[in-house]
Amino acid sequence: MQPIYAPGTSLLHRLHPLTKVVGAALVIVAIYLLPWLLAPLALFGMLLMLAALSGVADRFLRTALRVLLPITISLFVIQGILFPPPGSTPISLGPINLPLEGLEFAFLTSTRLLAFTGTFLLLLQTTHPADLVFALTERGLPRSIGYILLVSLQIVPDMSARTTAILEAQRSRGLETQGGLRRVRAIVPLVGPLVVGALVDVEERAMALESRAYTAPGLKSSLRQLVDSTGQRVARLLMLLTPVSLMAGRIALFFLT
Amino acid sequence: MTAIIALQNVTFTYAIANSPALRNVSLDVPAGQICGVVGRAGAGKTTLCALCAGFIPNFYDGRISGGAMVDGQDVIQHPVADLVRHVGLVNSNSFSQISGARFSVYEEVGFGLENLGLPRAEMVERIAWALDALQLGELRDRSPYGLSGGQQQRMVIAATLAMRPPVLVLDEPTAQLDPPATEHLADILRDLAHQGTTILFAEHRLDWTAGLADRVVVLDVGQLIAEGPPETTLTDPLLLDRYIGWPRAATLAAAAREQGRWPTGRPLPSTLDRLIAGLRAVNHRRGGTIYRAPTDHAPTDRALTGDGAEKPRAPIVALEDVHFTYPGGVEALRGVSVAVGVGERVALLGRNGAGKSTLVRHLNGLLRPTAGRALVSGTETSKTTVAKCARQVGIVFQDIRNQLFARTVRDELAFGPRNLGYSPARIDALVDRALRVLKLQDAANEHPYDLPPAWRRLVAIAAVLAMDSALLVLDEPTAGLDSASIALLTALAHDLAAQGKSVLVVSHDLDFCFEALDRVILLREGHVVLDSAWGALDDAALAALDAEVGLPLSLRAASALDLSLDSELRALLVSQERFSPITSSSQ
Repeated sequence: MQPIYAPGTSLLHRLHPLTKVVGAALVIVAIYLLPWLLAPLALFGMLLMLAALSGVADRFLRTALRVLLPITISLFVIQGILFPPPGSTPISLGPINLPLEGLEFAFLTSTRLLAFTGTFLLLLQTTHPADLVFALTERGLPRSIGYILLVSLQIVPDMSARTTAILEAQRSRGLETQGGLRRVRAIVPLVGPLVVGALVDVEERAMALESRAYTAPGLKSSLRQLVDSTGQRVARLLMLLTPVSLMAGRIALFFLT
Repeated sequence: MTAIIALQNVTFTYAIANSPALRNVSLDVPAGQICGVVGRAGAGKTTLCALCAGFIPNFYDGRISGGAMVDGQDVIQHPVADLVRHVGLVNSNSFSQISGARFSVYEEVGFGLENLGLPRAEMVERIAWALDALQLGELRDRSPYGLSGGQQQRMVIAATLAMRPPVLVLDEPTAQLDPPATEHLADILRDLAHQGTTILFAEHRLDWTAGLADRVVVLDVGQLIAEGPPETTLTDPLLLDRYIGWPRAATLAAAAREQGRWPTGRPLPSTLDRLIAGLRAVNHRRGGTIYRAPTDHAPTDRALTGDGAEKPRAPIVALEDVHFTYPGGVEALRGVSVAVGVGERVALLGRNGAGKSTLVRHLNGLLRPTAGRALVSGTETSKTTVAKCARQVGIVFQDIRNQLFARTVRDELAFGPRNLGYSPARIDALVDRALRVLKLQDAANEHPYDLPPAWRRLVAIAAVLAMDSALLVLDEPTAGLDSASIALLTALAHDLAAQGKSVLVVSHDLDFCFEALDRVILLREGHVVLDSAWGALDDAALAALDAEVGLPLSLRAASALDLSLDSELRALLVSQERFSPITSSSQ
């Protein structure tokens, strides 16, 4: 399994993680508040352009489509064709009649999901997880939660390497792993070592953290350095204010019309 | 001089245990001293290390009495968090000591420093020093989880050294290191001690301990039974009585003494240098025969080294011009031809990355050649399954965590033979025999993980032994084992060969390979560069072996004495049939 983060030196890579987090939050608010049908798709287009500028367009598009294509298709089939909202206007497409509102709903939902996923994807593809967690702990995220986030990122590749090694060890002991019923019988000797090993590791890991002064009293320091700037601070403030003004605008629009 | 580590009558019983792990232990270690702790598996060494680092009773629950001060701190009263600035602990399992929250070796080494809140400039300087000391510079950007066992162990040691504790406690620091790294670690620890660091380490490698420690403490069933300078303590007959063993130099000198070749009245040596000096003192040159070890001294038949008198039998495994390239493009094997016959005892040696693991995985079809053929009892591995090959070839991998899963040792041992479809009666017989051979009868109904780590490894080996395969393959079988357990494995290799079964061992433990096995295969960059009986190695072959992986202690002694030595003495030094005295007294 390859990690989501794609190393690079583009502008987006170099931005302070918090700037990117606030930016991402702004895009997400916009996805749901902008009143136009095509807005989420346009936002996704913008994200795609940013991804291209950061040199990750290929991976960005591939991951986004892989995650969302099945959902999109089922949305169109279920909401758009099989169970449209009651009272939909049918539009005829050759021999078939399709409900307009159903299609619209499916389109809006799936493009929203696309833009939503794309926002997070771009954030994670251009931000090293350790930088992101460090930036968040600096702003008050508890260290223990930051630790758990980082460990869970590393544990997946480690577990998959161990799974391979366990499979090798048990096949060497005559365990057949091919064929349906055999595969079921093989679960205990394959999962057992993984679980028991992980449980035993927990105590030793706790010891190791103690040895490495994780719980030592006093201030902590960090090897990672995040570059921030006045420009970015101002930009973050503006981005935080934008949704407020957008909402005000929407309310005003509501009263005026 | 005031003691930096001061233990007074410490008795400690783990919360879940019935009997104490430490009994009335008193110990004073002054500043700058290197104190080695030896003893059998389960003697209390790890508990003593944990106590000195403050993990008892504040991390491991239990009943404690007595007093323990380390670097002026009462380690019984203070939690570890308060003690980390005074004492650092390196545990024996490197994989479980990785923080998990850092993405590169560089940052992993810095993890403790961040927690201590050091200024950045100082962290950078200390990390650079620690990486350099443990020769990790080239690995600095690698993921901690992507390293080999030995590299992880070096990283974990570097991470603790970077914190610069005034007291350093190491529990089996060499368990996964290769010989050069082991020697290098001794140099680092000596340097630190010269600069005033007080060091306490627990080790099974008595030769290494003898060369490093200023003083040795011997534990047995939680009690301190002997202590003093390594020369006298490690050659105390008491250590043989308690099955702890002696350093090899002492064992060799004792054998020489029986033949009148050791100076009368001279104490037995604990190190190679002292051994050589003692042998030089009485043995002068007698004719200067060019040495060739006898090749006919083994009690077992050797199909390959025999001169054709025996009927040639088909090999158990044969690799024919095997090439293997990993999907990523790494060419691990480049034309390897090796056959393992009936009754052979083979050592497979080579540096990290030489192709040893890849070769082993070809012996039962876990990997299949990209070119060439791999045959298990005449059948190509590409035409059968790994599980079917297991009848012929059983492999015990180094990381036994990946193997053990059953609730009892007995169930664990029965798993393999059951997979092979043997009858219940035969399974019982095989399991009983494997338990007996590795002396695990008393542990048969225990959970494997309730046993000390060294015994756990024996369980993993017994579990494959119980399959009764024609070839038993062991990957680093002696890692973390005490001398008594290693002696069991040596005896196992002899017995298997006598029964017409074969053994192939991959190991950094050259002394074990030399004493337990008789053929050596050396791999370098995916080629077999040497394949010979130990006894038939000539000077060029010895030099090649030395350059790649080093030489066993006996051969080093023999080559250091060289022409000033007669052939009988050399034969004595390099005789593979010289069992360690603990085996002869325990069996």
